[in-house]
Amino acid sequence: MAHIGIDLGTTHSLVAVVLGGKARCLLDDEDRALVPSAVRYGEDGTPQAVGHPALARAGEPGGLTFTSFKRFMGRGAADVAEEARLFRYPMVDDPHGMVRFRAGAREVTPVELSSFVLRLLHARAEECLFVRPTGAVITVPAYFDDAQRQATRDAAKAAGIEVLRLLNEPTAAALAYGLQAAHTGARIAVYDLGGGTFDISVLELHEGLFQVLSTAGDTHLGGDDFDQALAKLLLAQAGVEDADGPTFRRAVRAAEAAKRELSAQDHALLRAELGGRTVEAGLDRATFERLITPLVERTGVACRQALADAGLQPGDIDEVVLVGGSTRVPLVRRYVEQLFGRAPHCELDPDQVVALGAAIQADILSGKSTAAPDLLLVDVVPLSLGVEMMGGTTERLIPRTSSVPASASQTFTTHVDDQTHVELHVVQGERELARDNRSLARFRLRIPPLPAGAPRVRVDFLVDADGILHVTATEEHTGERSQIEVRPTYGLQDDEIERMLDEAIDKAEDDIEERLLIDARVEGEQILHAIQKALASDPHLLGDGEGDAFTAAAKALELALQGADRRAIQAAGQRVDALTAPFAQRRIERDLARAIQGRMSDEVAEKLGLDDAEAPPA
Amino acid sequence: MSAACWSCHEPVQGVICPGCGALQPPRRDLDHFALFGLPRRHSVDVPTVEAAWRERTREVHPDRFAGRDATQRQLALQWSAALNEARRVLKAPRTRALYLATGRSELLERGGPPPDPDFLDAVFELQAQARAEPAAAAVEVARRTAEVEAELADVLRAWEAGAGPLDRVELLLSHLKFLDTARALTGA
Repeated sequence: MAHIGIDLGTTHSLVAVVLGGKARCLLDDEDRALVPSAVRYGEDGTPQAVGHPALARAGEPGGLTFTSFKRFMGRGAADVAEEARLFRYPMVDDPHGMVRFRAGAREVTPVELSSFVLRLLHARAEECLFVRPTGAVITVPAYFDDAQRQATRDAAKAAGIEVLRLLNEPTAAALAYGLQAAHTGARIAVYDLGGGTFDISVLELHEGLFQVLSTAGDTHLGGDDFDQALAKLLLAQAGVEDADGPTFRRAVRAAEAAKRELSAQDHALLRAELGGRTVEAGLDRATFERLITPLVERTGVACRQALADAGLQPGDIDEVVLVGGSTRVPLVRRYVEQLFGRAPHCELDPDQVVALGAAIQADILSGKSTAAPDLLLVDVVPLSLGVEMMGGTTERLIPRTSSVPASASQTFTTHVDDQTHVELHVVQGERELARDNRSLARFRLRIPPLPAGAPRVRVDFLVDADGILHVTATEEHTGERSQIEVRPTYGLQDDEIERMLDEAIDKAEDDIEERLLIDARVEGEQILHAIQKALASDPHLLGDGEGDAFTAAAKALELALQGADRRAIQAAGQRVDALTAPFAQRRIERDLARAIQGRMSDEVAEKLGLDDAEAPPA
Repeated sequence: MSAACWSCHEPVQGVICPGCGALQPPRRDLDHFALFGLPRRHSVDVPTVEAAWRERTREVHPDRFAGRDATQRQLALQWSAALNEARRVLKAPRTRALYLATGRSELLERGGPPPDPDFLDAVFELQAQARAEPAAAAVEVARRTAEVEAELADVLRAWEAGAGPLDRVELLLSHLKFLDTARALTGA
């Protein structure tokens, strides 16, 4: 059994594992731990390369290399207008749907792009470990909302990876530093400035229990922004106005190289092919620092927020940990030291620290950890979760910084006589008006027609240890229930994930086929079991000749299940479903009649719930 | 209270079955105080709540059951969520008081005890003053808040001494909520 830790980063990603009680990053053939989070598509819309080769061809004609797509995860086109402008990716114009890019002849989603990177890391782990990893801990910025977490899970699913846990990046970093050895009651601030996101988390340690007290951040702030600012300066100096996509990307690459140089020396040379000529410009560190100071100061806002939420002053912090490649920038280090009044830890490679922590958590979850057997992490909800009320206000059910798992429930009623359903709009954020917060999901619960104020609709929220929300709504008189795993408004549909699985470009294809077969079998067995049970319990609801026809179809499904043809199993299952639909409807109607008389069984509630969650909006 | 383990059917008293090691379902008969083994009093201190929460969390956190079957993973999730909710309610003096008085952790939006008319008049006046003279209004809001908090403390002390009911707690907490709104308006 091998559990791996994956840091799926904005600019680069890594995979790590605990071996012999020690976490280490896994390297490629050229001893590199970092994989650029980059995917190259050809003009015909075929994915051509992932990682280093994809990045090396950025800006080349004949295709398009996508980078920084993590910034678009779980987002709608309207949310990322600014990013879209910055990165100049051709976007599919769909203001209400999730972000889609044009990759030559076809469209790709950020989830799909992420899944390619995950698949590459997974394959690397398999090569290094000589065994297929059984599960992975994947890190996400602490400040990721539900939609962004779901998108990350979807990417893993599309890559055929079992997610053991989504772990917040700063928490992972604290684990990697082994700060569990600190004195009890120690408070730790983790300052994580990556390529595209900034996170600050404040943790408290008590005898092996790491408790996150608060977290804050900005999912639109990182080293990319330093590069962008510098690229704009370069373009302005070169007199290039309205740079097109490839030109701009070349300027950004030049800027990034200069930024790296300036972490070690006082001067750097910016050099890029712009507007058909080679442009060179000298840059000193002071100019660079003036340029990025406003960006760095934006991190201070989140730091003060996190301290206030934890009820602490900067002086109460015992340890400060730096994470993320952008903390190599000397100005950032000085700023952090000044903010907390103490020198930060930077002994570990800031690029690797999150992946190392993820590997340690993966090891802990194996239950056989030797690296940190008694360590336990308790994280928090980064943003409040609630529902929209009459008049468009937000009713918070789970306030931000609640420890996860977290649960809450609230009872609502109707405002109009004989209402036949209530619509629930689940939102995340701190704003008073629901429309200003992130819309996570809308769903409808059917209710019996009753006078206004009589129905009692109880809504239960449960945030699991991954920070993912599950919502159940129950009408308390009838027990009618609607349960959904919140699929964010910008989430992927399962058929899209299946399409992505089908289009896998690497050797993982066989594994995926195997998984699909397993899934088809599980589903087929469920269908078979259900029809056998229904035939046995409700023979009196069968019409003429139905019994024999159903038995024959069930037999065919049973036979298909003994084979290994996924499509045959699916076809046989669908046939049983289609054939028995009228019978199923009769059973539901019978159960519904019972339900309204108040004799509701859980089994019925499940059925109605499913039925309801799929109902189209009014 | 003793029950049978859902997994091996042996009698079990604690959180984890001593026979088969299976996590038991959360105890719905226990209130937030009993969950932490604390006396049902207002004067519990926060470090004690925190320590009890940590001790219980170490036993039932989902990470401890990551490799177990789906039922136990789900139970761990429920346990842990219940502990987190109990801790949230007991840590803050106001939610702790409301919970003792009503069994709820939030004030009702509608249908709670109506505020004293005189108090309401005074608060509305303060809210108006908050816009015109925020500094003066802030002083008055702070004075009144201290007054209500002192009365609340008296009620709770008397109750703990067995010499009084908790009837006024919900009303006083709703008064405090009005004062919080007024304070926010003063910008203090």
